[in-house]
Amino acid sequence: MNNEVYVIGRDSAPQYLRLEAGEERMLTLVVPPGAGGRLVMEVDLVGPGASLDLAGLYLCPADERLDLRLLVRHTSGGCLSRQLFKGLVGGTARASFDGLVYVAQDAQKTQAFQENHTILLSDTAKVESRPQLEIYADDVQCSHGATTGYLNPEELYYLRSRGIPEAEARRLQMVAFLAPVLRRLPESLIEEIHACLS
Amino acid sequence: MNNDILLEIKNLHASVGEKEILKGVNLTLRRGEVHAVMGPNGAGKSTLGAVLAGRPDLTVTDGSVRYAGQDLLALSPEERSWAGLFLSFQYPVEIPGVSITNFMKAAISARRKAQGLPELTPGEFLKLLKEKMAFVQMKNEFAKREVNVGFSGGEKKRNEIFQMAMLEPTLSILDETDSGLDVDALRIVAEGVNRLRTPETAAIVITHYQRLLEYIVPDVVHVLKDGRIVETGGRELVERIEREGYESIHE
Repeated sequence: MNNEVYVIGRDSAPQYLRLEAGEERMLTLVVPPGAGGRLVMEVDLVGPGASLDLAGLYLCPADERLDLRLLVRHTSGGCLSRQLFKGLVGGTARASFDGLVYVAQDAQKTQAFQENHTILLSDTAKVESRPQLEIYADDVQCSHGATTGYLNPEELYYLRSRGIPEAEARRLQMVAFLAPVLRRLPESLIEEIHACLS
Repeated sequence: MNNDILLEIKNLHASVGEKEILKGVNLTLRRGEVHAVMGPNGAGKSTLGAVLAGRPDLTVTDGSVRYAGQDLLALSPEERSWAGLFLSFQYPVEIPGVSITNFMKAAISARRKAQGLPELTPGEFLKLLKEKMAFVQMKNEFAKREVNVGFSGGEKKRNEIFQMAMLEPTLSILDETDSGLDVDALRIVAEGVNRLRTPETAAIVITHYQRLLEYIVPDVVHVLKDGRIVETGGRELVERIEREGYESIHE
């Protein structure tokens, strides 16, 4: 499937998508350091067999204010939506993630999955994650999950004990955390993101 | 045998939070020697290994550790590794998303940089990786796996010995490397350790049981109880512990 990659502040990402029967879209959003702002995306899955594979990563290392708002509506049955958002928030940045998955009453056999994970890089960074499911059909498979945490100190100690300097060890941890989204990106963009992390 | 002192621990006290775990440990290790540190659960054996490796949440409250002429306690964990110290973890840490290859590439390249050596070429690195994987009987796909993720107990310990072989330490500390191993894995691990023994290097084998010491034969045996070394002797001490238990050994 063609993966559409949008770097916020550089490319104009679609704010609204309507997926007809059998239509499949794969999109990856990248919020680079300094971008922030409000980012809205609404998607309607209106015909059976439509599928959305949406992923994103956000890097807010300084004083960004990021407001991510995602709305995915399953109005037809037999559709699939997957969302995976991962972010690093540091400095005095604030990030909020609002993700609503709506499943209409007759959208049976819907599969909808949403995940949002954030790592805080400082004690002064803040994240608010609100993944929500609103389901009116009864034969569906849906899940959502959100986690917010810090880089694992046990991992850091283990890496350092093998001679990896602290800053490099942290970078490895960040790359590993972002890996599920990073692997959807072209090599040049991955390198750009790696450079941001060091 | 080179008789230089490699490690000298004097009156070492260490705490986790408010709780004192090591209460005055003294130990002198020379190049070419293997010392066993035995003791009951909770004696402070793992803490001793962790203090030497520089675990950040431990506080040294008194005493000193000299390693190869340096003040070991003044070094960061990565500097200790560059100086040739290696701790095989009792509970190796899982690092999802980081492959064995990338992990070792970062470790080797940081160490060479610290030592003022040029980076290995990708070909040289791959050759080293394959050679050391064969050393612990790991298959090729091992290099692509995420560090310790989904590894069996035996694989985790073999991975520790693999890393040890990659880093060629001067001082190896094996923390309960025998726990959770079947006989085959134990043999692979022990053979790996034995083949890394040289007159220049030394090892501390921390263990609760004598089992590993049948394969890795120590020169000196210490018994650690309640944060202190209460007895030091030769191999016969291992047999005595096996026969009479730790209760028989008093200060």
